[in-house]
This record gives sequence, structure tokens and C-alpha cells, in this order.
Amino acid sequence: MLYWSLKTLFSEPVRLMVSALAVAVSFILVIFFSAVFEGESDQMVVYLEKMDADVWVMQKGVSNMHMASSMVWDWKADKIAQIAGVREVAAILYLNGPVKIGGKDWFSYIMGISPEYSRTGPWDMAEGESMPNPGEAVIPKVIAKLTGVQIGDEITLIDRTLRIVGFSRNTFSMASSVVFVSKKDLGDLLEASDQFSYMMVYAEPGVDGQALTERIKDEINKVNALTSDVLIESDWQLAVQMGAEIIHMMTIIGTLLATLIVAFTAYSLIARKKQELAIAKALGFGNGQIYLAALSQSVVVTVLGLLFALLISFTFLAWLPTVAPQINLAVRLHQFTSIAIVTLPVAILASLSAARTVTKVDPMAVFHH
Amino acid sequence: MMTEIILQANNLSKCFGSGVSEVRAVNGVSLNIKRGEMVLIMGPSGSGKTTLLSMLGALLSPTSGQIVIDGIDLSSMKAAALAALRARKIGFVFQAFNLLEALNVEENILFPAQLSAEGMLGAKGRLNELLERLELTTRCKALPNTLSGGEKQRVAIARALINRPPIILADEPTGNLDSHKGQEVMMILHDIARDDGCAVLMVTHDPRVEEIADRVLWLEDGALRDRKSEQHSWVKDPVCGMRVDEWTASVTTEYNDKKFVFCSTRCLSRFNAQPERYLDQTKQRMPG
Repeated sequence: MLYWSLKTLFSEPVRLMVSALAVAVSFILVIFFSAVFEGESDQMVVYLEKMDADVWVMQKGVSNMHMASSMVWDWKADKIAQIAGVREVAAILYLNGPVKIGGKDWFSYIMGISPEYSRTGPWDMAEGESMPNPGEAVIPKVIAKLTGVQIGDEITLIDRTLRIVGFSRNTFSMASSVVFVSKKDLGDLLEASDQFSYMMVYAEPGVDGQALTERIKDEINKVNALTSDVLIESDWQLAVQMGAEIIHMMTIIGTLLATLIVAFTAYSLIARKKQELAIAKALGFGNGQIYLAALSQSVVVTVLGLLFALLISFTFLAWLPTVAPQINLAVRLHQFTSIAIVTLPVAILASLSAARTVTKVDPMAVFHH
Repeated sequence: MMTEIILQANNLSKCFGSGVSEVRAVNGVSLNIKRGEMVLIMGPSGSGKTTLLSMLGALLSPTSGQIVIDGIDLSSMKAAALAALRARKIGFVFQAFNLLEALNVEENILFPAQLSAEGMLGAKGRLNELLERLELTTRCKALPNTLSGGEKQRVAIARALINRPPIILADEPTGNLDSHKGQEVMMILHDIARDDGCAVLMVTHDPRVEEIADRVLWLEDGALRDRKSEQHSWVKDPVCGMRVDEWTASVTTEYNDKKFVFCSTRCLSRFNAQPERYLDQTKQRMPG
């Protein structure tokens, strides 16, 4: 019976492909939601990653950059630089808020940077200057593409108008892009000219980052120090927590959709072969054997759908950002394995609808001439 | 052992619906079929032939009465046990052939073998024997949609025989075949009864089968009735010239206020296309 079920399925390859593709679409939807979410989450910590610091120092009680505010006296940067094991210190003033570009508000990480800490600026420039002077700003290239602004156009940060002098790459996120302004402008706006928000500490070779955080906290008052890994993980988790419910709901919707499509596919496969199932019943096959045949068809369609989803996800979805740069996608294997884990229950659940049809197949149908 | 009763029905009835809309399709039928016997069930359309065959094939539960197959009483058996009994004790041959489209000849024949006591391995040897006997050896890899009607029915017969059932139930096995192929199929079924000792119970409208059957049961209004040979009314099919019993024939037409009887719908179609061509050569009534 299993042989019949597989041979029947593969004897109509076009129908099988269409069914598997329909299932694949629902899986791709789930993978897409997850990839967008993870892509956005990755982008939220991109600045922390690109700075490649060993330790981050911030105001005591603060342990994030995302959705956080931190103020540390600027003289503490010099004191940290003198601590044993510290090779270099860089610092930024930081604000999380909207920037009006091309008539639209873009929620951004606004980095106030200064030439003395040049490494705190954009790491990949598309066009123009990378270090903004007072009255200037460097914005993501993607925003320029989306809004049509050019170098020399103006943006608004709170009540201050700044001129665009450069476009950076890999700094755009739908939730929070990175905009660079001068430390002086941001200091004036925040009335914090003698303060920094975060300091990046680069250790001497061979110095343990964790030990260095302890030393900094011991020697400098009212600061918190975290290794880069801890801060990135903490920010990433915060981003995930904020979007977890939405992505969870999207995953449920996608999975339900997948279940419905697999159920419909399984049902239509069974409905189309009702006469042959009636023959099988008349010849002595039981409901259990016929149901297993129906289940095997659902499993095959689902697994094929999964493989299509894998193929399409890792090609089409990976290619999508090149034509739609505003979409940050992170397509990863674990998204596929999560889908794979729900595949079997989905197939079994979906084939239950077919099982009901199987029990209703009348073996007397064999006498219809 | 050839006289052993393999299929027994006692006072079998089947009702559909209830109250005023109740229809008694089969009414108090009793019969015994022995091993090696070829028995026909004939009767007008709607007389309950297929209902009776379905009950005897353990596909339909009787409203009342008892069926015993190879000493096993079906009355108290559950659906799963009845399915197992069908797989091992009964071979089915249908008018519509009912082959499985995706499976080739060999696979179709072997399809019920997985339910047999000897399993697929034992059935492989039997398969070659059946392919040879039914002249299907060269067509063993062909799919059903490439087979002729006669070949399809031979495949269906081979499938019915693969598990060596003691009973073959055939529902109008020649109904979709022309007279030549129909004759061939009837002779195969006749040989199965004679050589294999199978009980062959066949529902048919085809009067030619009467000549090779051991017994003919006449079913009318759900009950078995006697029908003497004197009641035959032999006429000649105006198209193919075959002898047809006017009394039982189901394929008829009227032309110029005259009734014509045919052996098959194929002959009727030919007649309808060019009636004048056949009228000249027709001497309808034959001596009984």
C-alpha cells in the first residue's frame, strides 16, 4: 500500500511539484519572518560589533546601548587609558531618537563622534566624508536611496539642521539606523559637552577582557564595564525580547498556513484517488493501512516542500537584500531546522483530515460501472 | 473435496432506508456454492444482483440472514476481520476492471499479495505462472492506460487469483468488452473453476455465459426464482449475428416500431449509426 501511495504520488510529477511548492511557500513565509527579525536584530548590534572593542564602559546601572541612555564624564576616558592592560580608549556621545531625513522621521542610533577618536566613525563608506564636522552628518546610503536625498541636502536632528556630507554602508535598519554627527553638535543638543555615553576600551595583547572589566570598575567610580561579547549579547537579547511576541505570532500564523496547505494537499490527493482506495478496501486493505498510505503522501509532500523552502530561502531570500537593501535578512540553518522539527507534526496533523476521508471511502464504489 | 460447499447464504435480506421509503433490495435469498462450480446470477436491472454480490463478498452487511465462507460465519465479524477475509478468501473481478493507474501489470497483480499468508515472496512465483497462463508475459511492465479492455480484464483476473482464493466473485466481467474479448474472459473464468477448483459466482447480463455455467440463478425483485430454459427467447443480434436472449437482454432499441436486441452497447452503437445497413440482412427471431 505504501508502494502504491508513493508510486501514485510520483506518477504525477507536475501535481506533486505544485503541491510541494504550495507547502514550501508557507514554510518560506515562516523562514522569511524569522530571517527579517534576525536580520534586524543583527543590525541593531552592528555598531557594537564593528567597533571591535574588548570592553565597553558606560554609566553605572546601564548594561545596554539599545533603548538606553548613558552619561560618563569625559575625563574618565583619560583615567581608563592609564589603567594597566589598556592599549587604547575611544569614546562616543550617543542618543537613541528620530532624525528627519527627506521629510520622514528615521528612528536612529545617533553617534556623536570626534576626530580624536576616528575609529568610532562609519566603517564602510559609500560616498563622501566619513568624519562629520559640526553642522554635518553622515547617513546610511539606503536611506538616501529610499528618500532621494543627495550629499549637501539637509537633515533635522531635534531642532538643529545638519548638512549631509557622506553616505555609509551597512548602517541601515528598519528599526534603528546609525547616523553619525559631530560630538560637538550632539553635546550641545544634550547639554553634555563634557560627557561621553560609551567608551570603547582596547586591551593590550594577552590581557583578559573580563579581568579588565573588573579592574575598570574597581578603579573608576560610577561606571559599568562589560566585555564586548556580553554587551552585544545583552543588546541582541533585548532586541529579540522586544520582537519575540510578534515573531512568535507570525511563526504560528505561518505554521497554521502550512498545516492548512498540507491538509488541503493531503485531502485533495485522497479525494482524487477515492476510487482506487475503494478498490484497495474491497481487496482487503484496512483503514489503518490506507491511512498510513495517506500519511506517507503528506509526509513526502511536506518534506519536498521543506527542501524547496530550504533551496529558495538560501538563494532567493539571500539575494533579496541586493535588490531591496532596506530589508535586512539573516537566513540561517537553525531557522530551517526549527521548521523541520514542526514538519512531522504538521504532516500528521494535516493528514488527519485525509484520514476521515479514508474511513468514509465506500468499498462498494468498485461496482460503479 | 470438489463437492465441498465453500459459500453459503441463509435467508439473506438487505433493506435500504426505513419506514415508507424502505426498499428491500434482497429478500430471503439462500444459496450454496461448491468448490469448482461456476454459478451465474442473472436478472433484470435493479433486481438486487450487485447488492447480493456485495454481501456475499463481505463488502456489505446484510440486514438479516447468515453468510458462511469456507466455514467462517461472517455475522459477528468486525470490519478489520472482514477485510482480512476478503484478502484471503475472495478474488474480485469487476466490470470496470478497477486497476490501479500508477501501477504496471505486474504491480497490479501483486497488489493484494502483501495481504496473503505467504506474502510477496511467495506470490512472485505465482505471478509468473499467472502472467503466462493469462498471456500477459510480454505486457508485464505496461501501465493500465496502454492496455486493451481484454488485457485489463485479464490483469484483473490475475490479481483476483494471486492469493489463491477459493471464491471468485465477478460483477459483469464482460460488460465493457466486445463479444470476442468477452468470450475469452468467460472461458478463462470457466477454466479457473474447472482447473483450480475455485467457486466462480458471476453476475452477468450476458446470456452466452449460460452455456458454460454449471447453474444459473435468476434474481428478480430481490428474490431467487426458478427460470426454465423454455423461457428463453432467442433472437439474433442484427449487427454481429450472435444469439441473444430477448427476455434477459438489457441492450435494446426500437426502430420503425420494431424492437431490436443486441449483445452489447458496441453493437447497438453500430446499429444506431447505420440501421438500414443491418435491417436488410436481419432475420431477427431464431428458433428456440
